[in-house]
Amino acid sequence: MTVIDRNHVQVRGDGPCAMIFSHGFGCDQNMWRFVAPAFEDDFKTVLFDHVGAGRSDLAAYDARKYSSLAGYADDLVEICRALGLTQTVFVGHSVSAMIGVIASLQAPELFESLVLVGPSPRYINDDDYLGGFSAADIDDLLTSLDDNHMGWSAAMAPVIMGNPDRPELSEELTNSFCRTDPEIAKAFARVTFTSDNRSDLPHVTARTLILQCRDDIIASEEVGEFVHRQVPNSQLVVLNASGHCPNLSAPDEVISAIRRFVR
Amino acid sequence: MTAIDTQSSMPAEDLEDLYENAPCGYLSLQPDGRIVKVNRTLSTWIGIPAEQLLGKRLHDLLNTSGRIFYETHFAPLLRMQGFFNEVALDLVTVDGKKLPVLANAMERRAEDGALLFTRVTMLQAAERRRYERELVEARAAADAAGATIKAKLAFEQQTAELREEFIAVLGHDLRNPLASISAAARILRKEKQTDRAIKVLDLMQGSVVRMSGLIDNVLDFARGRLGGGITLERRAEHLEPLLRQVIEELRFSHLDRAIEVTIEFDGPINCDSGRIGQLVSNLLGNALTHGTPDEPVRLSAATVDGKLELWIANGGAPISSEAMTGLFQPFFKGEAGTSQRGLGLGLHIASEIARAHGGTITVSSDDKETRFTFVMPLD
Repeated sequence: MTVIDRNHVQVRGDGPCAMIFSHGFGCDQNMWRFVAPAFEDDFKTVLFDHVGAGRSDLAAYDARKYSSLAGYADDLVEICRALGLTQTVFVGHSVSAMIGVIASLQAPELFESLVLVGPSPRYINDDDYLGGFSAADIDDLLTSLDDNHMGWSAAMAPVIMGNPDRPELSEELTNSFCRTDPEIAKAFARVTFTSDNRSDLPHVTARTLILQCRDDIIASEEVGEFVHRQVPNSQLVVLNASGHCPNLSAPDEVISAIRRFVR
Repeated sequence: MTAIDTQSSMPAEDLEDLYENAPCGYLSLQPDGRIVKVNRTLSTWIGIPAEQLLGKRLHDLLNTSGRIFYETHFAPLLRMQGFFNEVALDLVTVDGKKLPVLANAMERRAEDGALLFTRVTMLQAAERRRYERELVEARAAADAAGATIKAKLAFEQQTAELREEFIAVLGHDLRNPLASISAAARILRKEKQTDRAIKVLDLMQGSVVRMSGLIDNVLDFARGRLGGGITLERRAEHLEPLLRQVIEELRFSHLDRAIEVTIEFDGPINCDSGRIGQLVSNLLGNALTHGTPDEPVRLSAATVDGKLELWIANGGAPISSEAMTGLFQPFFKGEAGTSQRGLGLGLHIASEIARAHGGTITVSSDDKETRFTFVMPLD
């Protein structure tokens, strides 16, 4: 199985430069459905699913490799190399922001710039650092995933029904996004919410845009400002959008912020 | 009463009351996710007055893990699909208790596609959650039991393999010293011996024959169980001389017993003669062991109607119907009280040899005689 199949890589557009979209903890590449098409005229857009998510090859899930974000960063580098890309614009949401940071330290030549949407280098509070969650909160999350994965998994595979209001959603897509194997979701949650990549931030050399939402309980404004202070060549843009997924709730804002940055 | 009468006599449904006191919780969110309306049922469940809930966000009502999952899974799903159904959430009540609910949500959009409201319905789901948890626990228990059984099975399989290997090795290793004893007895027999010594040597030779028969059976059994099965080398052969030799060997080790033999073959028989000899040796040995000593053992072998028919009969106590069912099973031992001199493999091996030849062994037993009959087709 090639990397392209393993990560269900989709390439569109034919611009000279590539823009890679990487989804976070939760759904899959569909998270970019309202944003990525806006860049197809000027860029070659690359979308993919992390192993364990969406239509990636579940058989390729290796508990050891993916026990740290570096395993996911390796995949990202592999995808770029397989497609012969260099000097790309990387757009990473949520935990993928840090996956992009790690990959850019591994192979700086592959990433000309980074767009970090709702990044957080550490979710758990630590002395003066406010990540937003206590260690007990994260334990509670992991336990609830353990206890109640039947409930989650039932919710992960939503009932398919007619959706006349939104004809752009084919039944096939309705059936596949946000569905996660409960065991893999649990492992990914552990990796995501126990990671600490604060010390990586000062080493980033790519020019970086940080997109921060208001009222994001996953990555707060304090965290966004922390990332901005730590990443040398970075800009912080606070969006009007609220919540953790501006790529879905306010795609136009996200698109214009990225446009201004890459221009 | 007509249908019209029924309608007119019913009180009109009060939609306001239906909303406020519905048997489910209702919640409406503005496009920015803040609560704009909530019904009395839901505010009663949580223990917070409706007006205090306005302006809060849905995730303010959830526990931490629920918030994380809501933001990372259900909010995106809702945005992409326009709805979600049967999502398990835990509300946190004013006194800090968890209230499990199942939530459905649907977006209400304007003509131009702009989001107006998100409407959420909630049903209490404590019982369902308990049931789900029980299922999870039952699955965990089943997995654990499965793992234990697997481990036990693997251990048993290993033990069984070792046992069969052991039998095979034992069978091989017993043959050599037995051949030495046999050769030694023959050498001594050729020299001048006292009458007493000759008698002892004859007894030894008889024991050697019996023991090598037992070893053959052990080996066949071990091989059969190790996957080889009983293999035949069939060819057309005059069987009579071979049968007579087998009978003589047994007669030799049972000098005090009468064996009456009738053999009537038309010509050569297509079979593995060595195996047929082993079959006859097992059946005859069995009859000599279990039959009453004061009656002869009778053997008859004949070719009749395209079949080889061979039977061996002895007198004595009949085989009980209980024992009859297990007779051809390996390691079968007759009832307590009968002499148990064999390994219980003789009849099993004999029946396997019969089967390999496309034949059968049947048994009948009453006060007069016990008779084993082997029948096989001649081609």
